Amino acid sequence: MHGGELVKAAREDMHVLTGGYALDALSHSEGEDFERHLHHCPSCESEVRGLRETAARLAMAQAVRPPARMEQRVLTATYRTRQLPPLPGERAVRNLQRVRASRLLAGLQGTGRRESGLRLPAPRGNSQRRWTQMPRLVGAVAAASVAVAVGLGITQISTQHQLDTVQAGNVAITRVVQAPDARIETKKTNGGDVTVVFSSEREAAVITTSKLTSLPSGRVYQLWVLSSTGARSAGLVSQPDQASQVLAADVRSGDKIGMTVEPSGGTSQPTTTPVLVMPLTT
Amino acid sequence: MALLLAHVARGDHEAFEVVYGELAGPVYGMVKQILRDPAQSEEVAQEVLLEVWRTASRFDPAKGSPAAWALTMAHRRAVDRVRSENASSRREQRAAQEEIIEGDSVAELVEASLDRQRVNRCLDSLTELQRESIKLSYYSGYSYPEVSQLLCVPLGTVKTRIRDGLIRMRDCMGVNW
Repeated sequence: MHGGELVKAAREDMHVLTGGYALDALSHSEGEDFERHLHHCPSCESEVRGLRETAARLAMAQAVRPPARMEQRVLTATYRTRQLPPLPGERAVRNLQRVRASRLLAGLQGTGRRESGLRLPAPRGNSQRRWTQMPRLVGAVAAASVAVAVGLGITQISTQHQLDTVQAGNVAITRVVQAPDARIETKKTNGGDVTVVFSSEREAAVITTSKLTSLPSGRVYQLWVLSSTGARSAGLVSQPDQASQVLAADVRSGDKIGMTVEPSGGTSQPTTTPVLVMPLTT
Repeated sequence: MALLLAHVARGDHEAFEVVYGELAGPVYGMVKQILRDPAQSEEVAQEVLLEVWRTASRFDPAKGSPAAWALTMAHRRAVDRVRSENASSRREQRAAQEEIIEGDSVAELVEASLDRQRVNRCLDSLTELQRESIKLSYYSGYSYPEVSQLLCVPLGTVKTRIRDGLIRMRDCMGVNW
């Protein structure tokens, strides 16, 4: 290999290789050089991380049901395959503990079972709406349906292992996102994103906000369902700079989702001009 | 799914079944997109999913999502296959089979419609050069020089377009990492 030449070429602008690295477009030696560079370049590292997540979305869009025999083969093979021990330092473990802690803090507790056919009460459309603060791992990517499917994984293990359980609200959220007629729409506002997944069949919408500009103290973002009969609160965004989700029940095609800035604690009716209005269509 | 992987790392087969359910479709679909040959794709996808089992203890949630972790492994493995010595013969084989496979995957791909809708909308927002560079490298597994030759543009341009195209995709899809 012509390592010297490659290094020279790569040095010209290592940073530009983040994209190709995330897509495996680099040659073997170029990749090795770049990996060495990554150790000294935190900004490259975080960029690669984001671009890899992006690439993962490209893959998700190509999901195809594998042949049924594959599952049996893989599952059988797991019984004959020894697993690697954790790396010394237990960094991953610590991080997981952090995730777990944030989940507990987020109050993702209660019971729920996805496949039992058990009917869980959907939160009603009043101002007492329950808020679900997703942990960063899930919440950060919750804008896409893919990510909510990942959240669903957590729901399942929670029941299967009876270690952690999730709120009924989470199950209801999953149902909306997985509804065959679910439509997803994202708008940028106040420095962040608001994503709405609406299912006409379920008569519900899941509103996800992320990275909204923090408000001065005493102010809060409030979400609304705007229908022909007026506005009703869908909940408050408690931590605007992070990702949060809310389920709005009793919504129909033609209704709108709105967001206003209100005094802390929220109001029963909007008192300011909405910073966002998203019509729900099927 | 990060919590599920922690259980998998402790040898929990039931947790692995759930992880399998979440990952098998994307892993298989993406590998097949690159290799085209169903038998080979199945083989690689199987290897990757077993690798998820084997290396679950090495998954670090601070470094990305479980899906990205697994799909990075899968993409790399598929690309390694394509680029191994007999890559050329494989590609010929692939060309011969392309038509047949294309037909059956189209219907299947519709199933991933929500993700697809979003990804396509974002791909459409790119310049043609950005879009083609990303598709050729990610979905077809071509390297920088190959993409450069196929698109008849300088290597440096390909590097830049892949990066700025992906950054646009990231922002368009609202990926927060």
